[in-house]
Amino acid sequence: MSDGDTGRGGDRIASVGTAFRILEAVRERDSVGVTELAEALDLPKSTVHHYLATLADDGYLAAEDGRYRLGLGLFTLGATARTGERIYHVAKPNVDRLADATGEQARLVVERDGRGITLYQAAGDEVDDPPTYAGDVEDLHCSAAGKAFLAELPENRLDTFLADHALEPRTPNTITDPDELRATLSDVRDRGVAFDDEERDEGVRCVASAVSDRSGELLGAISVSAPVDRMPDDRFRSEIPSQLRNVVGIVEFNTTYSEWSDAL
Amino acid sequence: MDDDAPRMDIGLVGLGEHGGTHAEFLEELGHTVHAVDLDPRAKERFRDRYDATMYEGLDELFAAGIDAAIISTPNKFHETAALKAFEAGLDVLIEKPLAHSLDSAERIVERADETDNICMCGYFHRFRNRCRLAKAYVESGRLGEVTHVDARYMRRRGVPGLGTWYTSREIAGGGALIDVGSFVVDLVLDFYDWPDLEAVIATTRSDFGDREDYAYLEMWGEDDEAKMYDVEDSVTAFCEFEDGRTAHLEVAWAANARRRHEYNIRGTEAGVSLDITTPLESVDPSGRNHRDFRLYEVRSDVVDHYVDSELVPPANDPFRDELATFLAAVETGESPDRCTAEEALAVQRVVDRIYEAADRGQV
Repeated sequence: MSDGDTGRGGDRIASVGTAFRILEAVRERDSVGVTELAEALDLPKSTVHHYLATLADDGYLAAEDGRYRLGLGLFTLGATARTGERIYHVAKPNVDRLADATGEQARLVVERDGRGITLYQAAGDEVDDPPTYAGDVEDLHCSAAGKAFLAELPENRLDTFLADHALEPRTPNTITDPDELRATLSDVRDRGVAFDDEERDEGVRCVASAVSDRSGELLGAISVSAPVDRMPDDRFRSEIPSQLRNVVGIVEFNTTYSEWSDAL
Repeated sequence: MDDDAPRMDIGLVGLGEHGGTHAEFLEELGHTVHAVDLDPRAKERFRDRYDATMYEGLDELFAAGIDAAIISTPNKFHETAALKAFEAGLDVLIEKPLAHSLDSAERIVERADETDNICMCGYFHRFRNRCRLAKAYVESGRLGEVTHVDARYMRRRGVPGLGTWYTSREIAGGGALIDVGSFVVDLVLDFYDWPDLEAVIATTRSDFGDREDYAYLEMWGEDDEAKMYDVEDSVTAFCEFEDGRTAHLEVAWAANARRRHEYNIRGTEAGVSLDITTPLESVDPSGRNHRDFRLYEVRSDVVDHYVDSELVPPANDPFRDELATFLAAVETGESPDRCTAEEALAVQRVVDRIYEAADRGQV
């Protein structure tokens, strides 16, 4: 979230920004003490303490033995935020069915501020321990859903994205060269499907397709991921893409006609 | 049609291919078109072509003082539009099939009955002079007792807008069978005067949908990106009706076989071959435009001999006649004599049984 911290002019309330920086920092660390956090954020320990105590008081942090975790008050906010997303309602049953049909991890990902956010996910029978969770964020350049989004961007917005974001390597397969990424995105546009071949996490392959409404507005992406041993080439390049295209087509139609299907 | 026929205000719901054809005829007949769709692309195309008042939603359209509604949305959305129209007291013509599922079709018929509105379903081939005449020959007893109908509706490369909603099970309710096959079921049931189906054996195939080498020779519908394809592209079914009468149905969107739409009606005294294959405008490799419509008999004057008579009724536009019949029904308040919602429900039941039989066979 640090992207938005500067340049908003004089009406920005610094303490609100600090509170959210603290929440983000707690999220990154699972559980954290006052001293550690003060050092990490370069803030006075007493200041950090006041913030933590206030947030804990309001239910947004949970305090335990002098350490802090995120509180369920944030879950209420997050879950409510998700409920407000139209695509969540239309896509959810289809993501469930996709997980069922493939036996793998199916996700609905939306793009916000240059990152992908998992809005919903469902695990098929083959999945023991889902590698991601709802609310998880991911870089766009290394994930299938992210590349599906980037492929939909007009040239000038892609230029801006590439200028603003370093293509950090996550695995040896991550595309870190902007020209190579552009070439890949052109393939994604041709096929309507994006691939992540162990580019975000070693040992995991993922296929995604963007969901747009009929006026062309990008709503999100749906993906299916699996460990490499369950995702051999023909499944990765052909079978899963075709299952995915069916589901994405249905979600797009149901989105367009949601007003006429709600009554059913 | 009748020049004295009153000018009406007709609501069109769903502005795709069929919606456009309805609009064209309605305008020709001097009626006013009121139109709605939720797909911005379909709306824009429609607005460019027709002089219609456009609406934002169903409630707005149905409250606009229209006389009747024509529903040609994707199958899955027929029910919502139809039920709202019935509630608004409107008579409705629904594009075939009646719905994407049997349950949905049943709910439509139920509400049409309860609200006492006319509900007609667009199986327009029933208005084709050739089909009407064949049916009259069956009814008059000229063929004796009809015991078997061999019916084929086969395209060579005619998957509708490969990748549009027609190829999605969830939205269309099925593939070639519920699309063109429902026409075949409708005509066969009508020739037999709406009998009960006793047994069915069926197979569905999907041989062409995912092929990247699929050659678009007979494009039907919008040219859309190929996204969805999870339905059958051909079906073979053998149906046994009450009293042992049978029908063999061959239906295909794509097959490596001669393109045809024909019915061989076999009676104990005579038979009729009825060919209603649509001439191809874009691709016609054979140049064969002659369509057989014959009566096959045997007589015994002097020597036993065959008599093959050609039947030559005047051509008509069945789609237009269907529309005129619906508008007349709206005007008089009397249900039409053909293509009623009850008949369309009977078609839907048979289609559903054929899918069931095919699923059973594949387990």
